[in-house]
Order: sequence, then structure tokens, then C-alpha cells
Amino acid sequence: MLAQAATIPALVTPTGRDLLGLLPELILGAAFVLLMALDAFLPSTRRSWLAVVAFISLAAAFGASMWGWFDSGSGRTLYFGAFAYDRYSMFVNAILLVSSALVVIISPQYLNRRGIHHGEYYALILASTTGMMILAGAMNLMVIFLGIELLSISLYVLSGFSRGDERSQEAALKYLLLGGFASGFLLYGMALVYGETGHTQLAQIGLALRAAQTSSVDPLVLVGVILVFIGFAFKVSAVPFHTWTPDVYQGAPTSVTTFMSVTTKVAAFAALVRVFTYTFPYVYTHWQVIVSLVAILSMLVGNIAALTQTSLKRMLAYSGIAQAGYILIGVAVDPRVALGTIGVLYYLAAYAVTNIGAFAVITVMAGRGEDLDSYSGLRGLAFRRPYVAAAMGLFLLSLGGFPPTAGFFGKFFVFAAAIKTGLTPLAIWGIVTSAVSVFYYLRVALLMYQRPAEDEREYAWSRTSLSAGIVLAATTAGTLVLGIFVFLLYNAASAAQSGLLPAIASSSG
Amino acid sequence: MISTGLFPYMLGLSAFLFTVGATGVLIRRNPLVVFMCIELMLNAGNVALIAYGRFLNSVEGQIFAFMVIIVAAAEVVVGLALITQIFRLGRELDVDDISEMSE
Repeated sequence: MLAQAATIPALVTPTGRDLLGLLPELILGAAFVLLMALDAFLPSTRRSWLAVVAFISLAAAFGASMWGWFDSGSGRTLYFGAFAYDRYSMFVNAILLVSSALVVIISPQYLNRRGIHHGEYYALILASTTGMMILAGAMNLMVIFLGIELLSISLYVLSGFSRGDERSQEAALKYLLLGGFASGFLLYGMALVYGETGHTQLAQIGLALRAAQTSSVDPLVLVGVILVFIGFAFKVSAVPFHTWTPDVYQGAPTSVTTFMSVTTKVAAFAALVRVFTYTFPYVYTHWQVIVSLVAILSMLVGNIAALTQTSLKRMLAYSGIAQAGYILIGVAVDPRVALGTIGVLYYLAAYAVTNIGAFAVITVMAGRGEDLDSYSGLRGLAFRRPYVAAAMGLFLLSLGGFPPTAGFFGKFFVFAAAIKTGLTPLAIWGIVTSAVSVFYYLRVALLMYQRPAEDEREYAWSRTSLSAGIVLAATTAGTLVLGIFVFLLYNAASAAQSGLLPAIASSSG
Repeated sequence: MISTGLFPYMLGLSAFLFTVGATGVLIRRNPLVVFMCIELMLNAGNVALIAYGRFLNSVEGQIFAFMVIIVAAAEVVVGLALITQIFRLGRELDVDDISEMSE
């Protein structure tokens, strides 16, 4: 076999159907180029126009994704199996695009106030979103790697977007070094998986693992699987790979933190589910322990560390680490049970609306030229900005998992899946740590309803602008709708799960 | 034409490079050196990909390695720009000192 030259597949060109299936990604890619060109010609006072262009392209990509939802039906692959055209990727696209659009709405005012309103910002947001959508649809190890790197490299630049601010630069460098470290693990894991199964296409890897299952599992495959998991765990900021999260979230400009805290997690979890639950189900018994362990640690460390914070951004960073732990429960359940994946999808949507809302409030807090995010700034907020305070209170309740908010049902489905598959200890651990989390969420909520001390300096809250109002209203509505009309999204998530590619294991129930 | 006998050594080399890179990231303090160690980790992945590609007689490993080279180049551009910017802000280049934010 080795004496022959390597077999090179016949030169094949993508068809129109392949390109049409990639329409959302292509729209954003084209808009990226357009924005970079426009930025060169627009006067600096007209930068908000770029936000409008970015918003329109995100809306167009959203429309294309919705069309893809109906067109893809039971799902097929594009580009000879390298990319999935199924409802799952369209569902994730929708979450990503809505999140990015909300961030784009809130950005111009915030960037202007901080004095960092440069045109590349919107182009980078679009590039990063494109990477996330590629990651959500990737069915080939190379495509996964490229998607992760496209989203990450754009985010490294965005984290350091405030060029004169040492904290922002520090955040960018930390993110870059630890992100690169994670890429190293991911790549080496992919190399081992490719080498030991002989394929880079997820569908074929899954089949090779199924065939190998009858004999014994190659230990190098398992090492590869674990290294790939470590790479993803860095991206979703799960313990013990979370150390970068608080510093990066705090140092990066708040609008960037809003963006990355939500969308990175959504995209990375989408790929994690596709790779682990649907490609590696035949080595489930081997990775289940590790995923569960990381979930348990994330819930513990995230919630305990969040208790002692005095910065809102750091508190939300640790809360995000804990939320990653809850979502990981949905990954750790038996791949044959569909509720795990549905729970993950529901949780991601709930987390997206809630967290964007909470960060939007911090964006409104930002002062001229700097970010302000201390707890003391919130004191007495309810008396000066009753609506903002009420919205923030709702987001905090949702993050804590109170009914009737989105966060409650996110946790509910994930815990239900764990109980259904005999992972009851994980669910109990999740409930216990959720109870701990109520302390720090309610501490912030109560602070807003306290009268400020007589001698305390009045916190300079700027007027809530129309754009911030729109975002807060949309996220509040989203949090309530997902918490009350549960079956709207549950049915969609269930439809997304049923067509998920690669369909190697027969999943039921 | 490489012989099958060489394959374990190539895999061993890539594992060695990966370990050196990962250890370097954890123990070195200069961001430039840390960055070089990350490149070492990525290139360890490349060596493994190419070795496997040769062993399996498939081109996928080599194509993957090309992609990684391109990605690594893009990462270097961003990384060096950031390190230069931090240097211009008048900081010592030591990752232990870069800690404006505390627990």
C-alpha cells in the first residue's frame, strides 16, 4: 500500500446547491469586504452608517438561515460531506445572528462614548460571526479548525480594540496566548483522531469508530478525543480551562464582552455537540466521565468564585463559567437520548438573550472614556432608572434559574435529561450549585433597590438611549417569552435535533 | 519513499515537540517565547498530520497541515501586533507583570 502514490481525488467543483446552502456565511463574508471598503471612504462622523450596513447584512443572513431552515428539510451535506445543511446549524445560526445584531445595535453609542469608534469594529464582528456559523455547520475536522480560528482571531483583535487602554491590551494578549494554547491541543487531538481513524470527515470518523468498537478502542483515538475536548473546553471557558475568562471579560470593551460571552459559547457548544454526541457516540463511555467531571468542577468553581466579586463584568464571567458547567450536563448525557441536545439548544438560546441583556445594562453604565462596572454603581438604580433596574433584575433572576424566565427552562431540560439517563448526581449537583448562585445574583438585584447613602457620590448614569432601549426591550421580551411560551422554542429545538448530521447512532426519545 | 519503520519515530518526534511547546507555554514568562511555544505546539500537530497522511496514503493530512500553516501565520500577525502595542504602552514584557486586573 505504501509503495503507491497517495490517491488524489478527482478534481471536483462545488455546485450551485453547495453555494446556495452556504448563503448566510457568504452574505456575511461579502458584507465584511464591503464594510472594509466603505470604512476607507466614509468620513469619521458617519461611522454609524457602518453599523446600519452591518445590521442589514446580519438581517439578510438571518433571512437566508430561515429560508435554509425550511429548505434543508431532513438535512443533507454540502461540499462532499464537509459542511452540514441541516436544521441544527440553522437553529444555531439564528441564535448567533440575533445576538450579533443586538450587539451591533448597542455598539455605536458605547464606542462613541469610549472614543474607540473605528470602522473595523463592525467588519470584525461580522468576520467572527461568520467563523461561528462555519463552526456550527462544520462536518470536517479542517472546517472545524478553520471556523474556530476565524472566530478566535477576530475576537483577539476585538478584545484589544481599545488601543490606548492597558487593560484592553492585557485582555487581548491573555486571550491570544491561552486561545493559541487551546488551538494547539485541539489541533493535536484532531491529528490523532484523523491518524487513527483515517478520515477527517465527521461522518466517516463516526463509522470508523463504530467499526472499531467490535474489537478494542485504540488508546491513541481516546487521547485525541480528550485533547479535542480540552480545546473546546477552553473556548466554552469550562473549569479547569477557564483562567483567561474573568480577565478577558473585564478588560475587553463591554460591547465586545457582550458579544463574545454569548456567541463564542453558542458556537463552541454547537460544534461540541456535533462532534461528541453525534460523531463519537461509540466511545461515549470513555469521554462521559471527563465531560461530567469538567461540568461538576465548572459549576463549583464558577459559582463559588462569583460570590466574592465586586466587579459586574467579573461576576458575569464567573457566572458564565458556571453556566458552561450546566450546559455541559446536556453534553454528558447518553447520546441516544435526544433531550440532552434539545436541552443544550434551549439553554444556549436562553443564555444568549439573558446574558446580552445583562451586559447591555453594563454597556449603558460605561462612562466617558472608560468602563465602569463596580457593584456600587448600581446602588439606587431602581429610583433613577426604574425600567433599566427592572430589566436587570429579570436578567439576574433568569441567570439564577427562577421561573417564569428563560433560564429556568434551560436548566430544567438539561437536568431532566440527566435524570432520565441515570446521571441524577449531576442534576442534584446542578441544583445545589444553582442555589448557591442565587446569593450573588440577588445581591446585585437588591443593591439596585437600596437607597444610596446620603454622602455617596451620585453615579453618573448617562441617559438611556433609544438603541440601548431597543436592546433591553428585546432581551426582556425574549427572556419572558422563552420562560412562558416554552413550546415555541422547544419544538424548534426538537426539530433541529431530529435532523442533526452526522446520523451515525440511532437516537431516540 | 519513507519506510513504515520510520513512522513511529515521526509520531514520537511530534509528541516530543508538543510536550516541549506545552511545557514552554506553562513555564516561560516572556510573551514572545510563550508565543513561539504555541507555534511549536501547532507545528507538532503538523508533523503528526503529515506523518499520518504519509502512513495512511491519504492527502487529507497534508492539506490540513497547509491550512494550519496559514492559520498560524494569521495568528502570528495579530500576536506580534498586540505585543508591540503593549510594549509601546511602556510595559515590561513579562506575562507575570501583565496583571492590571486582580481576583
